[in-house]
Amino acid sequence: MARHLRGATVLLAIAIVVTGAGYPLVVTGLADLINPHGANGSLVYLNGTLVGSSLVAQNFSRPFLFWDRPSLNDYNFLNGTNAPPGSQTPALTQLINETLEYFARYGRFNVTAALPWVSPSGSGFDPDLTPGAVLVQIPRVSAAASNVTNTTITDATLLALVNSQITYAWFPGVGVAYVNVLLLDVALIEAYPALGAALGLGGA
Amino acid sequence: MVDLGGLLEIAIVFAAVLAFAPYFGEYLGRVYLNRPLLGDRLLTPVETAIYRLLGTSPRISMRFREYVGALLLTSAGLFVWIVLLLTLQSSLPLNPVGDPGMTWDLASHTAASFLTNTDFTHFNPQSQLSYGAALFGLQAALFLSPAMGMSVAAAFIRGFTHKDGTLGNFYVDMVRTMTRVLLPLALVGAVVLVAFGVPQTLAYDLTAHTLGGGSQTIYVGPVASWESIMMLGTNGGGWFSANAMSPFENPNAASNLFQTGLMLLIPLGFPFAFAQIVRRPGEGFPFLATSVVVLFVALGLVLFFQSGSNPALSSFGFASGAFPGPGFETRFSGTEASLFQVVSVYSNTGATSVQIGSLAPLSQAVLLFGMFTQSTPGGDGTGFGMLLVFAVIAVFVGGLMVGRTPEYLGKKVGTSQMRWAAGVLLLHPALILVPLVVATVGGFVAVAGGSIPTNAYAFTTVLYEFTSEAANNGSAMGPIADGTIFFNVVGAAIMLIGRFAPMIGMLAIGSIFAHQDVLQPGPGTLQTRGWTFAMFLTLLVIILSGLLFLPVLVLGPFAQLGV
Repeated sequence: MARHLRGATVLLAIAIVVTGAGYPLVVTGLADLINPHGANGSLVYLNGTLVGSSLVAQNFSRPFLFWDRPSLNDYNFLNGTNAPPGSQTPALTQLINETLEYFARYGRFNVTAALPWVSPSGSGFDPDLTPGAVLVQIPRVSAAASNVTNTTITDATLLALVNSQITYAWFPGVGVAYVNVLLLDVALIEAYPALGAALGLGGA
Repeated sequence: MVDLGGLLEIAIVFAAVLAFAPYFGEYLGRVYLNRPLLGDRLLTPVETAIYRLLGTSPRISMRFREYVGALLLTSAGLFVWIVLLLTLQSSLPLNPVGDPGMTWDLASHTAASFLTNTDFTHFNPQSQLSYGAALFGLQAALFLSPAMGMSVAAAFIRGFTHKDGTLGNFYVDMVRTMTRVLLPLALVGAVVLVAFGVPQTLAYDLTAHTLGGGSQTIYVGPVASWESIMMLGTNGGGWFSANAMSPFENPNAASNLFQTGLMLLIPLGFPFAFAQIVRRPGEGFPFLATSVVVLFVALGLVLFFQSGSNPALSSFGFASGAFPGPGFETRFSGTEASLFQVVSVYSNTGATSVQIGSLAPLSQAVLLFGMFTQSTPGGDGTGFGMLLVFAVIAVFVGGLMVGRTPEYLGKKVGTSQMRWAAGVLLLHPALILVPLVVATVGGFVAVAGGSIPTNAYAFTTVLYEFTSEAANNGSAMGPIADGTIFFNVVGAAIMLIGRFAPMIGMLAIGSIFAHQDVLQPGPGTLQTRGWTFAMFLTLLVIILSGLLFLPVLVLGPFAQLGV
């Protein structure tokens, strides 16, 4: 028994030190050489201000920005992750209905293309949308952004901007295509600095 | 909905793993045979020093009682260590956001969960788990628990070649599993994940000024190193509550595919390690075939069920099989999410890249079936061990059918082994169904969306919870309020019994074999290496698991269809 007590204790002690400290430290050291941007959390800066991570959805709320998918944890890590209602339950239908009504307050849009945008993601942090679900937001964004900037921002201009932001999972035609909403909004603000000024992120 | 690109991805990941598995399996076999290996010059002196500290030596081989004793003592030590860390975390260092200590019941559930390779979480890591407890408690368990499963499987297999009643040395098995398999592979896996964009930093929380106005605290940390062993070790408990749905843990289709391969690597390598340890080439084939065939059938069924239309969505005019929908992530296609999910549940990893409750009810049934078999391919080591138990049953049944004394690999299969095998097999439904009845009838379940008897979806979530715990899987369906003392205590008990009782059964069967001499094969010996035995084993696994659990599937997922 005493022999096994020593064996078990020493085994655990060594394993805890090696796997709890040594292993993550070695990987962290290598990570800074391989992919420092990703290793630090794919952080996005606008005029020197940290505005988020391209891998974390956020609540954009302003009408002149493109919006992420709704989040059942309010885009907050401290709220954990909440599963949407079951796939074929009335609660799901009700939830989507409420989201649709909320978005409709900002103008009508093509519902059939907007499924990802009106349905909560699995993680609550899905930072991407299908191109179709971004395009349905263009009328709202162009009107509101034109208003804020006092310039005419046409739907065609925004369409070109969205198209320039499409990411392909593998190649065009293989796997899904999606748009990162934060990066799209940053590109929009960089194109129209007055939007950044309206957000208090006008730079120095 | 089934897209050609997705099918190509399935082909690529299986081709890659199956091409690598024979070499990896042979390597794994040599690890457990203590044969010369690549890296000996560097690692043998380290291992020798560790053996000296532990007070053991590879020359010492343990009998059943001693092996079980060492396993249970080490496990008990790890359990107590994690419980202490979790309950006291508020007064320990490395708690940057001031998480409070866990209650005794939640700490016990969490410790049992990570010790048993289940990783079912009743807590949110960012608000309830300190940085220090994550690294020095749970991350250590992410390594130790698969190592225990693999060591036990190796000891079980040794029973077929040993004649002196011993099964090997638990400590040596653990050390070599760590130094030769888990640490090097996890390191490589973590580096690849970093390249794909998974965070790996010592920083823990960052504050961003969001574009919508206001601020957002972004939690990062050494995620890639965690994620790598979480998949490789078929653990499945995430750094984030959102698990592999979280864009930080699984940022793109490439990381999704890579993690799918990581989960399959050790489970599909084990049949080859088995053949290597028993020194009979080809004997691993039926195990590999059973695992791959069942996996493919399950994957095909899920892809088929997911392509059907969903009445809850089609009422809005959304296209049939519309994707991505609620509970899915935009960056994964339906095929990619389904591939990950089937592999994750069937390998008893339990990581999730899609909300399981958001899958079609019949897809949920397919996932439940993977946890009923526990062995196709199942978790690291224990999955193969379960399949070997099924094989012993198959040999016994097959032997009776042809009227010969059943023997497997030259060892007689008698009633004493069958008693243990039947016990291991029957324990699983008992661990699931008894608590299910107590929880539903006893009124312990509070579920969003209705009471249990009238709500097939809620019933399925409770069935899923206990099945996941009994199979040491760890995936969850939510939205069930499972942070209660009832679910914590009962869940901890299910996980501990569901892990260690079958392990003891496997070691006991191995020990009985290890006391026997090896017989020469005769004309009546059942062939156990070809397609015939592979088909027999596959059907036996499917039929036995189906018979045990079909009624409860009718009450859960099937009833959700409202037919």
